[in-house]
Amino acid sequence: MTKSRSRRITAIIRYTVLTIWAIVAFFPIYWMISTSFKIDTQWFAWPPVYFPDPPTLSNYLNVWLGAQEYASTQYAISSQTPLVSLLNSTIIATTSTLLAVVFGAVIAYGVSRYKILSEARMFQLLMLRMIPPIVVVAPLSLYYSALGLLDTMFGLILIYFLTNLPYAVWMTKSFIDEVPREIEQAAEILGASRWRTIFEVVLPLIRSGLVATFLFILILTWSEYLLALILSKTNVATLPVELSKYQGTTEGKVYGRQAALAVGITVPLMIVGLIIRKHLARGFSFGMVRR
Amino acid sequence: MARIELCDLNKSFGSVRAVKDINITIEDGEFVVFVGPSGCGKTTTLRMIAGFEDPTSGEIRIDGRIVNDLEPRDRGLGMVFQSHALFPHKSIAQNIEFGLRMKDVPAPERIQRVREVAEMMHITHLLDKMPAQCSGGESQRVALARTLVTNPSTFLLDEPLSSLDAKLRRELRAECGRLQEELKRTFIFVTHDQEEAMTLADRIVVMRSGEIEQVGSPMDIYSEPISYFVADFFGSPSMNLVAGEVVGDTDVVRFRSTHFDFALPEHFKKSKRGAATFGIRPEHVGVAFGGKGEIELPVRLVEPLGKDTLLYFDDGTERAFIAVSEGLEMADVKSGARITLSFDPRRLYLFDADGRRIGAATQF
Repeated sequence: MTKSRSRRITAIIRYTVLTIWAIVAFFPIYWMISTSFKIDTQWFAWPPVYFPDPPTLSNYLNVWLGAQEYASTQYAISSQTPLVSLLNSTIIATTSTLLAVVFGAVIAYGVSRYKILSEARMFQLLMLRMIPPIVVVAPLSLYYSALGLLDTMFGLILIYFLTNLPYAVWMTKSFIDEVPREIEQAAEILGASRWRTIFEVVLPLIRSGLVATFLFILILTWSEYLLALILSKTNVATLPVELSKYQGTTEGKVYGRQAALAVGITVPLMIVGLIIRKHLARGFSFGMVRR
Repeated sequence: MARIELCDLNKSFGSVRAVKDINITIEDGEFVVFVGPSGCGKTTTLRMIAGFEDPTSGEIRIDGRIVNDLEPRDRGLGMVFQSHALFPHKSIAQNIEFGLRMKDVPAPERIQRVREVAEMMHITHLLDKMPAQCSGGESQRVALARTLVTNPSTFLLDEPLSSLDAKLRRELRAECGRLQEELKRTFIFVTHDQEEAMTLADRIVVMRSGEIEQVGSPMDIYSEPISYFVADFFGSPSMNLVAGEVVGDTDVVRFRSTHFDFALPEHFKKSKRGAATFGIRPEHVGVAFGGKGEIELPVRLVEPLGKDTLLYFDDGTERAFIAVSEGLEMADVKSGARITLSFDPRRLYLFDADGRRIGAATQF
């Protein structure tokens, strides 16, 4: 077999495998979007309906706006509209993520430059995040209840901030480590104070890394279910909790509505990803200093 | 004005003593080069002067004032790093301007000064570029300009040329020399390159495992090395060094090794007998066919360089014994030919078993 031929065969195999994987990965998303536009008889029709015919917006209008006239059947599922959950999720996820990234970066800077945590401590920090939430959720809900944090926005922000802090420290530290010490020292000897060095030199250089960390933690927080379910009731229900309500047992499976809601949960993350894609695409490679 | 004194300076990293009892005074306007192999403590010493490392003990004084506790930015120094350390997110102009901005110099003056140093360093065409768009030599010029613009009393240069190729290195080396002459500032330059040290320095500080081995002018260091280490480190091609012993009674003193056996000059008469290393620089070895000389050796390799010809001889060791012959007179010598070598008696060195120089300074 010639070299070019074997290379072609390798390429064919590679693309075949990747294509299959892409289909496996994207099909559920396609199915979600497609179902959200289906009328209720097509939700679990057999043989499956791949393309909604005719496509309808009734699921969206029903779920998001509570427009009952579009629903052939009305399901009394949730006492609150998902728009409230969307607002809750937005406030809770962005606030806790911002806090985690800011505090994480500060701690990471200390670890990277002043070794305020030893290597062992850093691992212990990460270990905290490895604990399965189910283990701590029962005692946590007791504490929360005693402290009056149950079903409050502050309570959820606090727990997400704390649980994601280790990730934030680890991720931002790797970006700060990438900034050569000498660049900071160059700024220092040119007369910059510690703060100015951080704001003028370090922060601009790790901006992409901070943005990537932000998105990573935002996704985790946005889609977190267990803690939200246990620590909130009705006041501050987040989108994943709201979503689960459409999986009721009494009303049957309202797939179309659920899909319409799920699309609404996914789209904001996609928008955020699109806005910051420049930073993500630029990647985490810095390569700024000739070594 | 900057006179820098290092008094009993020590630096330890854990149990490793990187710098041991350094004492030296660097005069205002002097160009001092710290040179030595990697890990000898030269960069650590420079970083202590800059303020990036705290001395474990000892004092650093600038113009008589102890600066141990001063922040780097308050020491009035400028530093050029080995990696150049340009700010990658700022244009060249912004890089150069940085120091002025930190000192709250008003904008019109900043623009003026940036232009001046850019012209001085021949980098005006780079001002709008980003560091990533500059070549190694260009970034080094920018790094120098960025330091220059703040008008520091002393320039600290940490192997600034080591990342450049040979031609650029020579070019920028000359540039450094020119700058120092124009500015009349104190320059402290760290390098592991003996040639850089020889060409640039008013005074060379040779360091070895954290200690100062020898301090002197380039000529002193070259012609009066106090140890085997210094003798071996300076010069290219390096000094011929042959291990053997000093033998003889009160009247005659000879050096003897497997291939060598010759009478040493008069002034070694009182030297201690025993194991020693004999050294002579290639340019002080006379070569001739036959005739009078200390020793006859077979040629291993001939390297005609044009101006000179290098002759490599087999002396039984791995390291060839080298002689330099002027011009191309010896260029056609075949390998294996036996040639008589004579040694300039005034330029002959002996080192004892500890590597210390034996015998008083030779008379010139």
